Amino acid sequence: MARICLVCQNIDCKSRGSEQLTTELQQKIAAKGIADVEVKPYMCFGACQEGPNIVLYPEKSWYAKVQPRDLDDIVEHLAGGPHVQRLDTIDSSLKELIYQLLDTGVF
Amino acid sequence: MEGVLFPRGVPEGREGFKEYRDRGGYQALEKTLRSVPEEVIQIVSDAGLRGRGGAGFPTGKKWQFTREAPEQPRYLVLNGGEDEPGSKKDRVLLENLPHLVLEGTILGAYAIGASKAYLYINARYDDALKSVKDALAEAKSAGYYGSNIGGSGFNLEIEIVPAPHNYVAGEDTAVIEVIEGKKAWPRQKPPFPVTVGLFGKPTSVNNVETLANVPPIVLRGADWYRRFGTAESAGTMIFSLNDDVNRPGVYELPFGTPLRYLIEECGGGIKGGKKIKAIMPAAPSSAFLPPEKIDTALDHNSMREAGSALGCGVVKLVGEGTCIVEELIKIADFFASESCGQCPACRMETSSLAMMLKKVQAGQGGMPMLEQFGKILAFNKGKGFCNLIAMPGPPIESAIKLFPADFQAHLTTGKCPVN
Repeated sequence: MARICLVCQNIDCKSRGSEQLTTELQQKIAAKGIADVEVKPYMCFGACQEGPNIVLYPEKSWYAKVQPRDLDDIVEHLAGGPHVQRLDTIDSSLKELIYQLLDTGVF
Repeated sequence: MEGVLFPRGVPEGREGFKEYRDRGGYQALEKTLRSVPEEVIQIVSDAGLRGRGGAGFPTGKKWQFTREAPEQPRYLVLNGGEDEPGSKKDRVLLENLPHLVLEGTILGAYAIGASKAYLYINARYDDALKSVKDALAEAKSAGYYGSNIGGSGFNLEIEIVPAPHNYVAGEDTAVIEVIEGKKAWPRQKPPFPVTVGLFGKPTSVNNVETLANVPPIVLRGADWYRRFGTAESAGTMIFSLNDDVNRPGVYELPFGTPLRYLIEECGGGIKGGKKIKAIMPAAPSSAFLPPEKIDTALDHNSMREAGSALGCGVVKLVGEGTCIVEELIKIADFFASESCGQCPACRMETSSLAMMLKKVQAGQGGMPMLEQFGKILAFNKGKGFCNLIAMPGPPIESAIKLFPADFQAHLTTGKCPVN
């Protein structure tokens, strides 16, 4: 299964620049030569105050309050680098709920 | 049986000022102006009047809270936003019985000591807006509102505010926001409008049908009113039936009337001679009832015991040969598009549920998908400023319980069992 990088595009995340993040992320992934990752918009993860939110699936890494300056570290992670711990701030019960939803194919 | 609101059957045209006066109109107000406001609150409480906008809150209590709030001035708002799909009762009252509604509004304002009342009316209801505007002019020239009404010292200004046509715009705090000139976004409660409402002052927001009940209660007394309905749901309620029955329309029935009477005797049964698969007593947000519960009484307690709710009386039927998954998609899409978007949890819940149902429809996710509905609903329970977040749950959860075969067919074969 190809890996996906879900970027929330609901009102809050959008107002905090998630559209720009999506474009930049796509460019950086392409520049890095990572071929098996698709960047996709997502409707809402329910963590609007913590946005912009990006979830990597199926590996299940959730990055919150992502800024353009964080993207290089996220791309590094996608290329096999370390988990970006400083962006991993979301409550585990919400994570579990969303991951279960993603497991049923809702994306 | 004689009715409270429609004593001569559902009115077909507009009742003018003279006709209303000739059948006793404004006598309740004249009588009231000679008494103290607390008496109006007492009689409405004794009558057991409950709000008809959906929540069923006791009107006397709401008025008492508003009257006892220390701040001044106080406001009364007539809520005629009526954006529940299929609801027609407030429109019929505003268009055809504008003086009854207006007298109820003036009585309510007197009861709580409001110096200004706002008539919040669905902006698409052109005829209702005109009817009420004309009624205001007639009532004003007769001295029924304005300065020193009937020499009582009671002053009341009344203003019409057109209501935007989105669902949450009928929620009481959203109504207040709109009247204040803002977007129709519900406020966080508490504080409740009865203490901090319009312009931060005590405000009673009452549904059109609720206020229309007040003149007959005041004129004929609580005991007379309690002859209709049940002990906990006194009086009558107007039910709206739509194109799924042979005779769509509005029907005033005493609380406690069996649902079957409304569907069969009033509505002429389900259209096309089909069998009933499910009944939604308060569309679009109540739980579905199976056809075996068609004899449930139309009152708040009986509906709750049966596992559903009475809401504002829009009764919807689902016929055999209809897929419940397809029905739910319409409902979930409605709530997702009507979520105002200010509460993250509501946004996430309503959009996720709509998307999940479309996955079910397309046969994706398998049976584990069904478990996710309850989890999403439980996670978001109690969150959000208004009640919209709680609305998609009852239809979805009841449908999963009552019609598992419809879901199973979609999820295992990817095909609709019906279409």
